[in-house]
Amino acid sequence: MAPKYRLIYFNLRARAEPTRLLFAAAGLQYEDVRIRRDTEWPALKPNTPMGQVPVLEVDGVTICQSNAIARYVAKETGLAGKTNLEQAQVDMLVDGMGDLRGKQAAIRKASEDKKDQCKEELAAFAPNFLRRYEELSGPHAGHLVGDSLTWADLEFYDVMAKVLMYLPGILDNLPKLAKVMDTVPANKGVADWLAKRPETPH
Amino acid sequence: MAPKYKFTYFNMRARGEPTRLIFTAAGVEFEDVRIDFEKWKDLKESAPMGQLPMLEVDGVKICQSMSIARFAAKETGLAGKTNLEQAQADMFVDEISELLPKLAGAVFASDEAVKAEKAKEVDKMIPEKLGRLEKLSGANGHLVGDSLLWCDLVVFNVAFNVENYKPGTLKNYPKLTKVMDTVKANKRIADWIAKRPETKF
Repeated sequence: MAPKYRLIYFNLRARAEPTRLLFAAAGLQYEDVRIRRDTEWPALKPNTPMGQVPVLEVDGVTICQSNAIARYVAKETGLAGKTNLEQAQVDMLVDGMGDLRGKQAAIRKASEDKKDQCKEELAAFAPNFLRRYEELSGPHAGHLVGDSLTWADLEFYDVMAKVLMYLPGILDNLPKLAKVMDTVPANKGVADWLAKRPETPH
Repeated sequence: MAPKYKFTYFNMRARGEPTRLIFTAAGVEFEDVRIDFEKWKDLKESAPMGQLPMLEVDGVKICQSMSIARFAAKETGLAGKTNLEQAQADMFVDEISELLPKLAGAVFASDEAVKAEKAKEVDKMIPEKLGRLEKLSGANGHLVGDSLLWCDLVVFNVAFNVENYKPGTLKNYPKLTKVMDTVKANKRIADWIAKRPETKF
């Protein structure tokens, strides 16, 4: 029987990866559809809600917007936060991470002559941003919110893995955040996924 | 006894108004704190991410305007009846969110050349965003489902500013116009709009 959830994206990590990490962490089956931008996307595009991917198809409904998808899957897998308040804390941390993600992605997207400038912008932005996140991180070691894995941890792991490529020592004096980077891949479902997921440029 | 929820923002609608609309629509009391920029300088370090708006509840501070609004929606039963409905509401909120700061940029620019540049971007974005929402919206006066949800209020807030910026824009989007009308017809919202502080944005 086909899985209940069908995730459609390009063969990239990027905006779909947090959702894939959520499914993996929870051991929840889903169809991980990867389409070709050149041959398959043009036909699919007008049939998506807002002309974009990722989309998630479930129960005859198509959801778009990567954070809306991830939040939905987080709720379905019990990884959204245990109370409304905890969920709000998870949401706010994920929202904030959008800025960090943007600065990091800018490096990749920049033309060769602008890349150094973008790297400097990331280097200028990250320390203060992460200092605040260290302060906001909850008291339970290895988890940003509450006492168990949430979407916020997975999102953090996903973006920081990329940021650390440019700023390898940036978590050295931020022990709570550094611990999250250990806790996430210690989850068996995540570890298995990291080992087997397709290699993609980003 | 002080209300359970303390909402702090500047004296403007902008990113803070959806949360005010949500509590208001649900008839839930909240402390509507409006501070000026001088006061903000003192407060900034104590805000979780150095930004407003901020919501304080049960000793916890929440920031990020749409995270706050979504929390308020869940507390007041305006988030959506199922996880899937909530995801559909989230979709509309995510899509329209980009338009508000772009609009603010065009409205508040002081330099004429900058203003014209920003207006060009906004004029391109409005039909893109509103067109997408119109296509997906329900036809019954609600974006999703059959009753008022927070996404209706978020979109109403942005559309209100769009109408101020270019009156008559919403006429081109009949389903969205119906959503606007449904929100305006809500008694608590109508009372709030009549009495809320007049602000430019």
